[in-house]
Amino acid sequence: MTAFFIRRIFQMILVVLISAVASYALLNLAPGGPLAGLRQQQQSARFQITEEDIARIRAYFELDLFLPYRFTRWLVGVPRGPITIGGNEYFSDLVVGCRKPLESDVLNEETGKFEAVITGCKEDVFMKDLAGRRTSRGILLGDFGLSWRILRDRPVSDLILSRLSKTLQLIGLSTLLSLLIGIPLGVYSAVRQYSKFDYIFTSLAFMGSAMPTFFFGILMIIAFSIVPKEAGWPYVPSGLSESVRDYTIPIIGAVEAGSIKDRFLHLLLPTAVLTIFNIAFYSRFVRASMLEVMRQDYVRTARAKGLGERVVILKHALRNALIPFITIVVFTLPGLFSGAIITESIFAWPGMGRLYLLALGDFDYPVAMAIFFILAVLTVIATLMRDFLYTIADPRIRLS
Amino acid sequence: MYKNRFTLALGLLVVASMVLAACAPAAPAQPAEPVVVTQEVVVTEVVEVEREAFTTPHPILSDLKVRQALSYCTNKADLIKSVYVTLDEAQQASLIMNTNIPTDHWAYAGDANITIYPFDAEKGKALLDEAGWTLAEGADFRTNANGDELSMQFTTTSATFRQTWAAVWEQQMADCGVRVVRLHAPASWWFGDTTGLARRDFTLGAFAWVGEADPGGQTLYACDQIPSPANGWEGQNYMGWCNETASAAIKNANNTLARDDRIKHYQDFQAQFTTDIPSIPLFNRTEALATTAGLTGFAPTPGEPYYTYNVYDWELPGSDTIVMGFPQEPASLFVLVEDAYVANVAYSLIRPLLETSLNYDFQPNLIKEVPTIESGSTSNNDVEITEGSKVVDANGDVVDLAAGVTLINAAGETVEYTGGPVTMKQLVSTFELVDGLTWEDGTPVSQADLELGFKIDCDPESGATSFILCDKTEGVEFNGTSWTYTWLPGNQDPLYFNSGLLSIYPAHVLGDVPAAEWATNPLVAETPLAYGPYKIVEWVKGEKIVYTANEFWVGPAPKTPNIVIQIITPESQEALLLGGEIDTLASEAIVSPTETLAAAAAEGKITLYVQPSATWEHIDLALFLR
Repeated sequence: MTAFFIRRIFQMILVVLISAVASYALLNLAPGGPLAGLRQQQQSARFQITEEDIARIRAYFELDLFLPYRFTRWLVGVPRGPITIGGNEYFSDLVVGCRKPLESDVLNEETGKFEAVITGCKEDVFMKDLAGRRTSRGILLGDFGLSWRILRDRPVSDLILSRLSKTLQLIGLSTLLSLLIGIPLGVYSAVRQYSKFDYIFTSLAFMGSAMPTFFFGILMIIAFSIVPKEAGWPYVPSGLSESVRDYTIPIIGAVEAGSIKDRFLHLLLPTAVLTIFNIAFYSRFVRASMLEVMRQDYVRTARAKGLGERVVILKHALRNALIPFITIVVFTLPGLFSGAIITESIFAWPGMGRLYLLALGDFDYPVAMAIFFILAVLTVIATLMRDFLYTIADPRIRLS
Repeated sequence: MYKNRFTLALGLLVVASMVLAACAPAAPAQPAEPVVVTQEVVVTEVVEVEREAFTTPHPILSDLKVRQALSYCTNKADLIKSVYVTLDEAQQASLIMNTNIPTDHWAYAGDANITIYPFDAEKGKALLDEAGWTLAEGADFRTNANGDELSMQFTTTSATFRQTWAAVWEQQMADCGVRVVRLHAPASWWFGDTTGLARRDFTLGAFAWVGEADPGGQTLYACDQIPSPANGWEGQNYMGWCNETASAAIKNANNTLARDDRIKHYQDFQAQFTTDIPSIPLFNRTEALATTAGLTGFAPTPGEPYYTYNVYDWELPGSDTIVMGFPQEPASLFVLVEDAYVANVAYSLIRPLLETSLNYDFQPNLIKEVPTIESGSTSNNDVEITEGSKVVDANGDVVDLAAGVTLINAAGETVEYTGGPVTMKQLVSTFELVDGLTWEDGTPVSQADLELGFKIDCDPESGATSFILCDKTEGVEFNGTSWTYTWLPGNQDPLYFNSGLLSIYPAHVLGDVPAAEWATNPLVAETPLAYGPYKIVEWVKGEKIVYTANEFWVGPAPKTPNIVIQIITPESQEALLLGGEIDTLASEAIVSPTETLAAAAAEGKITLYVQPSATWEHIDLALFLR
């Protein structure tokens, strides 16, 4: 057991590092970035971008450093300048980047288009130039650096923490409800296969999983917020996580902005959308898994032994049917962190999903990379949890 | 087992190769010589750029008759109708652009002084016939004597808005026998630094320019602003249009101080522009704003980008709070480095602009008067300059005066400097703050605050993008809450009365903070001290910014005690407005008035404001081949 965990932890570290390298490289290779379009902004007597301005902005975002140095500064916060040993500085004149790239235009005769090619460097960045530059302590030490765009020049961790609690509320509650409702529904539907309930349930489950959340969300807003409010009936707020002003809802009464009641009411619609979607998914999975298990010999044997149907289903069938379900459940862990992009957008829910989308759209690489990194860590933890839970659910599996 | 290891090894190899490829540094430093790429690329042959690129007239578009025909065949009203379906005909007609300046702008030449091309397909077809592009019987598209089809690629972005009107324009051209092949490119390519427009990689190209209180235009239309390999792609005259009369007119318009003279120059320019048609102006985009019914005092005005200029007048009966819906959270309130519109709107509540630009003109707001030459607060002095002095040359660049520099002397003549003293014009403006301007903590705004504003805004460590105004400044003298701004000799910026405005920062709070630390300082970025009608109470990240009335505000007392900027999403904004969760949605949220909003306005649930925005769509015509 101990050997297993040690081996797995080393593997996890390796996987996280590889994913960090790959995602960092891919993100930095993607077109766009904080400099994109800067030179194409409408120039005027009051706004002109010079080569020096570009160089300064490149340095501000560390885009003037070669990728390996940028990566290590992001990962572990080094190099920060020349290495000093015994009063002597080493690697001071090591070229670590290019402040002003030398661009040249070439005509690609095949396409007939000009293509900009970096052919050299007009002004290098040396190791000694890194001294005094701002840098994080490194993501491995829990310092995610400063946001480039969304919360400009302020810590990425502030940004993530500001969104995390809202996402945990929404995703945690909807996941819990989905499991509590979805598993019994799936079991019941499997046990009553081809009954009226099964047909109705299966149809609804298909609809639930097939209907896009952006469409379903809007339907819910119209049906439970806008229309009843106009009609003078009880309604629920159409979006946000809490109101700014106090309000009154028929029957429910006065609601104070920011109160628990207010927050609960705001949580209802997005939670309902996600829960219904997840119930459809979970219950169909459990139903299929149960149906497969119910046909197994050991279930038949259990029945033949004269065990009661409840014991057969809950102890012999469900336990085995839930083994593959463990994989799905443990991977809700990274989901708890990453949020639900579409649902959060529809309901203006200030969560992680929306933040992730903004980070990618606004080229806020430090934020996007922090989310990637945390997701990678949570995913490997979820994988470890899955392996551990398998041993509990299935006695045939041994961690050794 | 071995298979798994092999797969793992292969995976690692792939990742490692990707990383290595990504990490490869740029080529080693080379002297800055003209570069000839000699390495062979496997697929495509790479050759040195010919310096005489873009000198071959375009075989179709260089013909004026064709350009006129395209203009006549363009039904601008229908293009507008396709994207602004909820506007009535009068509103749609008000958006039509005849030239590069909106019709309600002070610099508009007037219909009588330009050539207007009303939709007239028959006239367009006749012009194409005259140009040698005829329609064979039964054919859909025209051909010339060589049998070449009249076909051109039309490049624009993939935004839904442009896809919509571009499809209509394609059909309008087809009706005249012109085949337009649409290419909807990603904005990142079309507006990229080294792709699309920047490399004049189009035949017909559509995008928008943003109009301002001052129309500018020199970088867009002057002969020396044509980007090409020879000049390092400097300039934004992507059409490659060089009309010496128009070029001189736009330069004069951009470098003359007297409004009447400028109007005359702009008129001359627009006459040439509409005669030559290097670009087809189409329509102003709209600026749509919506408020909950009953909100009074809300008065967005064309020309003034900040609809919050009179926020103290806003009032919502029965509510002590007005909630503004923002689809994007301000990244920072240090607007020197964060120039996003939402940040500036949020900032304007605590620190209003010193001048407003209602109806494309300037008015004093927190200064006593706009210091124009006419008012006597600005002088344009003759000063004697000697070699080595910093001046602004004839191209608007800051240079050290030396032999060979082209400059404009005090007589207004463009001359080459050969040595000795030369007399040039130098603008000196005196600004004065209104009396009683006070920070929210009760500290009066002082000379130190103005000095700090100038110091920080011109410090390269601050993180600002452009320092061109600082570079053109000779110096600023402070005297209490007034200051005298002296520009470098040769700088004849017509917006001198606005460009010399300073930022005001609280020296008693931030005086000791180095410029490099301003962007990260919460007192700068998140809760800056206010001297405006409102002050910030709290900023809940991702959710809202809460303001309350500033008791020390020097202007009219705010009619509503609290303002909240609620961060929403574009997907939720209409439901939130109709549901009463927010009270305003402005142009940063509404691209164009939707049917839902129009219907809600018709039912009296909301008030919808639609006005021409300063942004205008146009189609540039490439006059030369690559």
